[in-house]
Amino acid sequence: MTGVGFAKETGTLAAAGQYRRPARFQPLRFLKGVFVYGLLSLAAFVSIFPFYWMLVGTTNSAVDIVRGKANFGDHFWINVTNLFAQVDIPRVLFNSFFISILATVLTLVISSAAGYAFEVFRSRFRERIFAALLLMLSIPFAALMVPLFVMMAGVGLINTYTAVIAPAIANIFIIFYFRQATKAFPSELRDAARIDGLKEWQIFLRVYFPVMQSTYAAATIIVFMLNWNNYLWPLIVLQTNDMKTMVLVISSLASAYVPDYGVVMVATVITTLPTLVIFFILQRLFVQGMLGSVK
Amino acid sequence: MSGVELKGVRKSYGALEVIRGVDLEIKPKEFVVFVGPSGCGKSTLLRIIAGLETISQGDVIIGDRVVNDVDPSKRGIAMVFQSYALYPHMTVRDNMGFALRFAGVPKSEIERQVREAARILELENLLDRRPKELSGGQRQRVAIGRAIVRHPEVFLFDEPLSNLDAELRVHMRIEIARLHKELQTTIIYVTHDQVEAMTLADKIVVLRDGVIEQVGTPLDLYDDPANQFVAGFIGSPKMNFLEGVVENGSLLLAHYDGQKIPLGPVSGKVPDGTRLVAGIRPEHFGPNGSARLAVTAEIVEHLGGETFVYAGNGGREILTVGMHDGRAFKPGDKFEAAFDPAKLMFFDSQGLRVS
Repeated sequence: MTGVGFAKETGTLAAAGQYRRPARFQPLRFLKGVFVYGLLSLAAFVSIFPFYWMLVGTTNSAVDIVRGKANFGDHFWINVTNLFAQVDIPRVLFNSFFISILATVLTLVISSAAGYAFEVFRSRFRERIFAALLLMLSIPFAALMVPLFVMMAGVGLINTYTAVIAPAIANIFIIFYFRQATKAFPSELRDAARIDGLKEWQIFLRVYFPVMQSTYAAATIIVFMLNWNNYLWPLIVLQTNDMKTMVLVISSLASAYVPDYGVVMVATVITTLPTLVIFFILQRLFVQGMLGSVK
Repeated sequence: MSGVELKGVRKSYGALEVIRGVDLEIKPKEFVVFVGPSGCGKSTLLRIIAGLETISQGDVIIGDRVVNDVDPSKRGIAMVFQSYALYPHMTVRDNMGFALRFAGVPKSEIERQVREAARILELENLLDRRPKELSGGQRQRVAIGRAIVRHPEVFLFDEPLSNLDAELRVHMRIEIARLHKELQTTIIYVTHDQVEAMTLADKIVVLRDGVIEQVGTPLDLYDDPANQFVAGFIGSPKMNFLEGVVENGSLLLAHYDGQKIPLGPVSGKVPDGTRLVAGIRPEHFGPNGSARLAVTAEIVEHLGGETFVYAGNGGREILTVGMHDGRAFKPGDKFEAAFDPAKLMFFDSQGLRVS
């Protein structure tokens, strides 16, 4: 009898189609539902509200934003005009795109080649070098910042694009990611290509690259976002206004003596858009890439 | 067409030696099958011939060239892989023409060659499809087509049928045999399936632990195995092995309740007290045999045309008995398995054939 009672309560037998449960109100089940959906709604609210607040903020004056106005206003064009008056947005956007695109392309080329080589070439020192690389992930960037700055100053690269791009392109996490992904790359494809007469670099470009498209798509999103949102290092090495990126502009607008939050919100929306667009374009491949690209 | 010769070939990975001195001569146009259990080195040997693995010692000769340091693409070989290894981002046409395009062959010539290979393999309607749109058998045919267009001196097949279902495997086996007849090329084929080996090969090479156990035609190996390993590996179901000791000119079996069987071909050649293993193939049991072994059926497999009875006599050995008229058999039946003593093979304690 205990078994049947248990089944009635949880609906196990009903689910299996052996027992039709009469429709009746079950307070415990109802409360559980309320709790779960309540929690999910709260999480959704916490995730979505900042975006909503950002969009609402673009249409309101700084005073309204500080007062906590949470619906759309009519200050949008004033905020946009003010932003363009205060900052050379086309130039700043160019800086951000130039740095992010170049750094992303170089990172993908260098780090994917490294990941591929780590997996494909056997050497006595392979695992030791790789372990040393992974160990370097544990060193916080703050500890590297000063020596890196001294190095860049030593070669006269302060306030140049190179200073921002160069340290970014050998990304240990992306090397690791590509090495893991390469494990799924069939070794027989490489053998077949060797018999077809391809050299190792040709195998990499003409077989590996097209086959691993979705891995590259996922890495593109991750690396582009990292570079686009990079703040600390550009803040240190990019010193003049004509070299600043969008993230630095938001920061300087927000830390003004009297920040105009409407303007800050417009700048934030402009900064958010490119990553969103790239994500939606590559979304399908991104998901495949995170799951493993070769079936 | 070129033959292939291996002279004292050895291959080690660090301290582990996986190919331990292989000497082999494969004649032009010969269909040679490497068989052996997993890890015996048969695929490694094939990869050595292909140039995908370097050798630690010895010579690999294709035609009249020593190719030890020659790039795989310049050895005059083509290889078909177990997983097909088709480029997933290319159409069937591009997959088949890729090597030629890379070798700088003019486009019109590539198209002609691809069409010719597609005709041979009946792939003409699939040329614009990608590998993922093809069935397993079609993919395997494309992989073979990719090999054909290169007009290799030697075809290498690495377990090409292992990923196919049983029916398709039989079909493709016939296709490969037909292809060999049509192309008249040297073929080296690796498989662990001895049925494939028996049906396809002009010559079988049986490998174990990186050494060749025996080389010969399929029927040579079946009729006259050099040792117990080859005897057990060739033939399906495998040969029965009965352990025993020679006593008064008969073999006293260890696991059949003191029963004896005649020494057949080795009668009078082996002294009393010698430990021997007698081998008898399941298909060599028949109603007219003069030697008999009383056993009890444990499992009975009715295959329609024939029946296999797995029988024992309390010991740990199980005797596989094949019969053509065994439909009435059921587990628990006691019967006498009869055979002709002349069909027995004997092996010593090292597993070597005693004759």
